[in-house]
Amino acid sequence: MNIFRIALKEIRVIRDPKMLLFLLVSPLLIMLILGTATTNAFNGSLTVGEINVLYKNTSTSSELSKYWDDFTGQMRQAGIHLEGAIDNTDGKLKVKNNLYTGYVEITDSGLMYYANSQSLIESDIAQSVFTAFTDRYRLAAEVSETDSKQADAIMAGYGGAGYVVEESLNAARKPGAMDYFAIAMTTMFILYSAMTAADLIDGERKRKTAVRLLAAPVTKMEIFIGKIAGLVMVNAILIFVVVLTSKYMFNAYWGENLGLVFLVLITEILFAVSLGLGFSYVLKGNAAGTVVMIIIQLAAFLGGSYYPVEDATGILATIASLSPLQWSNAALLEMIYADSFTAAANAMLLNIGFSVVLLGIAITMMRRREGL
Amino acid sequence: MNVLEVKQLTKKFGDFIAVDNITMSVKEGEIFGFLGANGAGKSTAINMIASLLRVTKGEIEVLGKNIAKHGKFAKMNIGIVPQEMAIYEDMTTYENVYFFAGLYGLRGAELKERVIEALAFVGLGDKHKSYPKNFSGGMKRRLNIACAIAHRPKLLIMDEPTVGIDPQSRNYILGSVKKLNEMGCTIIYTSHYMEEVEEICTRIAIIDHGKIIAEGTKGQLKAIITNQKNIGIEVRSAENLDRSKLAGIAGVNQVKVEDRIIKITSDSEINNLNRIIQQLMADDIEIRSVEEHEPSLETVFLTLTGRSLRD
Ligand SMILES: Nc1ncnc2c1ncn2[C@@H]1O[C@H](COP(=O)(O)OP(=O)(O)OP(=O)(O)O)[C@@H](O)[C@H]1O
Ligand SMILES: [Mg+2]
Repeated sequence: MNIFRIALKEIRVIRDPKMLLFLLVSPLLIMLILGTATTNAFNGSLTVGEINVLYKNTSTSSELSKYWDDFTGQMRQAGIHLEGAIDNTDGKLKVKNNLYTGYVEITDSGLMYYANSQSLIESDIAQSVFTAFTDRYRLAAEVSETDSKQADAIMAGYGGAGYVVEESLNAARKPGAMDYFAIAMTTMFILYSAMTAADLIDGERKRKTAVRLLAAPVTKMEIFIGKIAGLVMVNAILIFVVVLTSKYMFNAYWGENLGLVFLVLITEILFAVSLGLGFSYVLKGNAAGTVVMIIIQLAAFLGGSYYPVEDATGILATIASLSPLQWSNAALLEMIYADSFTAAANAMLLNIGFSVVLLGIAITMMRRREGL
Repeated sequence: MNVLEVKQLTKKFGDFIAVDNITMSVKEGEIFGFLGANGAGKSTAINMIASLLRVTKGEIEVLGKNIAKHGKFAKMNIGIVPQEMAIYEDMTTYENVYFFAGLYGLRGAELKERVIEALAFVGLGDKHKSYPKNFSGGMKRRLNIACAIAHRPKLLIMDEPTVGIDPQSRNYILGSVKKLNEMGCTIIYTSHYMEEVEEICTRIAIIDHGKIIAEGTKGQLKAIITNQKNIGIEVRSAENLDRSKLAGIAGVNQVKVEDRIIKITSDSEINNLNRIIQQLMADDIEIRSVEEHEPSLETVFLTLTGRSLRD
């Protein structure tokens, strides 16, 4: 009950119209600016979207080759370019050098796909398309033993079985500028709550109200949990409004599974709050705020808040992967555009894992301390 | 029954001993004064009683129960007015009191009633919706008190509740303290202001360098130094006064000049008034009046601690 009262006090900010406006307007405004100003960049060739896959067909089966050729034609219409490689090309190297989204080798024993680890979404999309292709081919191969017409139909995508390709084709939807920045700004905005968190307990100390909290029949843990719960709730409510506003007012695409999107975002809120709190316990005074601010800005810069980092190469890609925003952004993009939940699960695990560590440090230090 | 019992209480900060082995008790219905100069250890002692600081050594009992074992019980029965203002400036007066009182298990209509009662008690009954950031020092101090009394504590601990406020607010606060006491609240009152302590406290402890060096009623404390007398001489102008000559007279312990009044503390056994007057005449200082008083509490404090209460 006391936890609830303490949490409720944190939610008070929402009652302050000026504060609320500021909290909501800033992310939405940046979203709007970046989302409309950079539209051209997103339609160009630089950004997420262009899927170019190199392939080498060494199969001796004329059937497979025929289906494959049809398939490349279908894919071109869907925006996935399959490019035949010259015999002596090292396809894997080209992928490594980020020249292609992926590389496919078609042999008699099947399809081998080499994904580009740097453009995750595109790679994922390509992969799911190839999976669909092989599934159909297998099915068609079985059917063709008895009825070759029906086999053709299956491969052309008219057959009743396996609409996988169509699903995959839907998944090939690419994020536009607004779609991208709606995600990037939301996750960045969440990370900023680490600033509030850095002052969450320290603020009580500075205002001397910590004294009153400690004198009341409430345990330190109750105060701690109450305050965190309050801050997470406030941010969850704000994020809810931001996401829905971007969805319905700016037409940003958030995918089919909004619940899961919120789940990922909430774990990121928990992470951000833990980050701020953890540092406020490790570093004394205002140092915590400064350090957290630097972390947020670096994370935002490297994690793709202002431009997509999906296509980054080399060291930049490695550094980008360290940004907590990168986990969440990549996970959300994959989830929304490639229906891949593994990335979301991983991001949630990372967020929760780091939260546990950071909160653990904060709690240990608080226990040792006199006062909060 | 003793509301508070403190036994051999010690607090160390590293090697520094802030509170040194103090033992004291406060009976129900008392206004117990805690008198000490800056850094004497008053706040440290009080904060241990209010469970804000860990005890290094010793025991504290509130209403007969050891706070080490019955922490929650002690906290429920104590109200603390911290030395520094402890209020949320971005919440209204009502919300401030409501929030803190709510932490003491008060709910619903009862909680609201208590909040209204506490605010009315400190004279902020018409300020429910005001934000303390616009308040004068005195009003903030009063809100600071309201936050501590809404849950009706048996023991109210006030750590210098009148520092830096206008005389009107101070009088209001002193009046409130007396009224609270009449309503059955036992009070520990810390102050720098001798007059306040003299006016409202039923018993006083003088604390210096972490130790209680004297304790008792005003009468008892003054009796400690019956060998002292205070002489007040009003003069036309004290400009030409040579204090060292006066201090050199046998029996004189201290000479202070406040405006046109020369205050002398002297051994009571030695009759030196004539010599003092002669000295003033020799310096050509015109005497308006001469008074001899029994020692004030201030003198008691000075004599015992060797320093003045206020720096
Ligand atoms: N957390 C702390 N760490 C180290 N020393 C401390 C701490 N708190 C207080 N002290 C020291 O303990 C001594 C007693 O301080 P305390 O605040 O109890 O004095 P006080 O009598 O309340 O003085 P004041 O009238 O200025 O409020 C001081 O010398 C102070 O510097
Ligand atoms: Mg003090």
